[in-house]
Amino acid sequence: MTLAIDRNGKREPAIAAPLLPRLRPPDGLGLPALVIAVALLLGGLPFFRLILAAFAPGWQFAPEAAFAEMASRSAVNATWHTLETACLSALGALVVGGIVALTLGVTDVRGKRPLAFAFVFSMMIAPQVAALAFLSLLAPNSPILSLIGLAPVPGTPNPLLGRGGIILVMALHHAPLVAITLWTGLRSIPQSLIEAAQMEGASNATITARIVIPVLRPQIVAAGLIAFVAGVGNFGIPALLGLPVNYLTLPTLIYRRLSSFGPSSLGETAALAVLVGVVAALGIIAGTLVASRQRGKVEIERPLEPYWLLGSARPFVAGGLWLLLALKLGLPLIALLSEALTPALGVALSWQTLTFDKFTEVLLRQAVTMRAFRNSLLFAGAAALILAFLAIAFAYALERRLGKLRRPVELMIELPYALPGVVLAIACILIFLKPLPLIGVSIYGTPFIILFAYLARFLPLALKAPVAAMAQIEAHHEEAAKLDGANLWQMLRFIVAPILAPAAAVSALMVFLVAFNELTVSALLWSSGTETLGVVLFSLKEAGLAGEAAAVAISASTIILVAMLILDLLGRHLPQNILPWRL
Amino acid sequence: MQRKSLSAFTFAAGLAATALAPSAASAAEGKLVLYTSQPNTDAQQTIDAFKAKYPKVDVSFVRDGTPRIMAKLKAEFEAGAPQADVLLIADSVTMEGLKKDDRLLAHDKADVAAYPAGVHDPKKMWFATKLITTGIVYNTKAGMKPTSWTDLTKAEAKNQLAMPSPLNSGAALIHTITLTGNLKEGWSFYEKLKENGTLAAGANGDILRQVATGEKLYGMIVDFMPIREKAKGAPVEFVFPSEGVSAVSEPVAILKSTKNPEAAKAFIDFLLSKDGQELALKQGYVAAHPDVALPAGYPARSAIKLMSFDAAKALADEAAARKRFSSIFE
Repeated sequence: MTLAIDRNGKREPAIAAPLLPRLRPPDGLGLPALVIAVALLLGGLPFFRLILAAFAPGWQFAPEAAFAEMASRSAVNATWHTLETACLSALGALVVGGIVALTLGVTDVRGKRPLAFAFVFSMMIAPQVAALAFLSLLAPNSPILSLIGLAPVPGTPNPLLGRGGIILVMALHHAPLVAITLWTGLRSIPQSLIEAAQMEGASNATITARIVIPVLRPQIVAAGLIAFVAGVGNFGIPALLGLPVNYLTLPTLIYRRLSSFGPSSLGETAALAVLVGVVAALGIIAGTLVASRQRGKVEIERPLEPYWLLGSARPFVAGGLWLLLALKLGLPLIALLSEALTPALGVALSWQTLTFDKFTEVLLRQAVTMRAFRNSLLFAGAAALILAFLAIAFAYALERRLGKLRRPVELMIELPYALPGVVLAIACILIFLKPLPLIGVSIYGTPFIILFAYLARFLPLALKAPVAAMAQIEAHHEEAAKLDGANLWQMLRFIVAPILAPAAAVSALMVFLVAFNELTVSALLWSSGTETLGVVLFSLKEAGLAGEAAAVAISASTIILVAMLILDLLGRHLPQNILPWRL
Repeated sequence: MQRKSLSAFTFAAGLAATALAPSAASAAEGKLVLYTSQPNTDAQQTIDAFKAKYPKVDVSFVRDGTPRIMAKLKAEFEAGAPQADVLLIADSVTMEGLKKDDRLLAHDKADVAAYPAGVHDPKKMWFATKLITTGIVYNTKAGMKPTSWTDLTKAEAKNQLAMPSPLNSGAALIHTITLTGNLKEGWSFYEKLKENGTLAAGANGDILRQVATGEKLYGMIVDFMPIREKAKGAPVEFVFPSEGVSAVSEPVAILKSTKNPEAAKAFIDFLLSKDGQELALKQGYVAAHPDVALPAGYPARSAIKLMSFDAAKALADEAAARKRFSSIFE
């Protein structure tokens, strides 16, 4: 690995040289070279390794097997399933998330803070937990359904298993992602635009339909694409709702192949992985095209304020939003909780049957679950911390130093995030299965392979806020430091880092929240002692311990809730607009 | 709370250690990694019981379905660094495969005097620990009470049967090979099931969930899951079909690459001992030891009719059976 860095480090300045002198004197070559080397290591290397395994196994160009695999019936079916679930769920997420974002953004509905908090929380619980919760909610023995007399007769298949269920749960799960993106967009609309329209006598509906939504269009497109890419890469939801009925998407097909047939199937699974990469890349490229059209900073003195006064409709609108949250978050969680509190599957929950056995079993008796909690905290924490520091260097280099190399570098970093976790895991296995050249140490089977995968996967997530913050910093701070004779590292350390620190901290926390519940990457990379929460949850369910799985899910969600509440308290001291749920 | 239970545990472990120290002459210690397909709870209980006798051994485990455990292990063989010391997985066919590849370590001193011949590997490379049969589970609200495998092809079971996939479960693989070899319909039995809307996916745990929650009324499943859940109140019933059942023996073996053969041998000795076998009984399994009683809910040992099974042939047919199964059900 050290070899790779050195080689890249030496090569890159040669490429960068013709572009950079125009921008900066050559004292800044070290940083761009470093950034490009890290991007190559985390983004380029996994992707390159996959392409190699698929099309040129053993360094011999032989793409026939890969193409045959891609054209096989199961691959074509899975591709189609991936596309249709991702597209339809993205549309659903746009509708639900859009309505919530607009209602909270432009009206004077009461209780925005708790509503937004709950909405964002519903996304922070792991996708497989969401799927498990909905599954228990609609099973024929569902305590909630039997309470209202709607329980299906035994022998009725769970309506959530299969295509429709995947689309529904995925749409609901990704709706907050859409809302967060739209809220950022709403903040960039100047209030003066609304005031002008109001003076012309435009109604609230007209303002929303004719001004706000058209201005928001780039963000709406971006939000849809984010939801689409998230849908392509989602593993937890199709794994729990699709695998039991043989409805396979590409990530679950890859997982099943690899986990059933082992490394002998690495070549063909790599081919399938490339296929997912292509599907997801379509999404990113479309997103990049849209984003590039909306360049240019607008100086906003006063951002948009709620202009739509609801009057007597206020309680009804709030009630509607709370009802949506109850359906999306409340009922499934209650169903999950009741499953965790009953002594056996299919037993009705009552005061007589209520037991905390499953909780004590997973939290106190089983070493593996406790270790999984600790591991997930540790891996997610380490990834968040490292990425926070990397993000500061990256944000500065991308904004100020890379010039025309910025887009390719960004695209390269985005690759592992867009690839489904299972695919990234395969790439990591391929890279690290054999001991590393020169040092002869294998990181396969150690925590470091999971950490590497987390760093690669969540780097773009960690970059979002610091890059946005960097774009708003005037260059004169750095100029002043330079005049005072500060070198690059001093300038980064004393000028840039303090300014970017809050943004980096928030990114780190987002990374932590996402990585804590992560399943798709670790599902293939874990080994004895490095199990993560997601892995344990999945394994418990497969071993017929659904109640225990529910207990782990509830406990993990509680940890997330507590973390978010702490963040919310800290949020008072952070600059505005940094926590996505603080409108 | 945690500290209290921890100290209670250390106390119990210490007590057990002082009581048993003289018998544990080999004084095994150090780290031991177990790869197993047992459900988490059972694996943890097994390790806890072992540690009560050998407190100096630090055991950790990896749990997954047998095919996935094997996939992981093969990847590790390829990387030249197998992590496991001991394997405790569903079936002996997989063990035979490992034995053929020269991956297993013989445990010549293992005491198997109490067991009838033919239960364990004659070369003492792997040892059977239990008898796990695969039969039929049904939801107690179901109309038809199946008594034979062919009942599952009846109209009453249309779209109501779920079974584990051999791609996910070692027991399911052996079951498929046994059933197609014993039933006179052979593979066409499975084709009939497919025509009857049978769902073949997931592992045994998924089948239990679907039948217990009433999403499906019938399932093929390993015996202990529904028998155990029934005892806890779940609305399920397990049937040993009239034609007989398939069986796996959940064998245990030491990997040749183990760094701690002493502790690994101690672990096997424990599983084969009367105490270890009584633990299997307590967990609700049919123990391999002939003198250990059967758990509640099982018919007498002699009343369980086992279908014939040829391990060597199964090893040769394994890949073909998986392919054939996928081609019918996927």
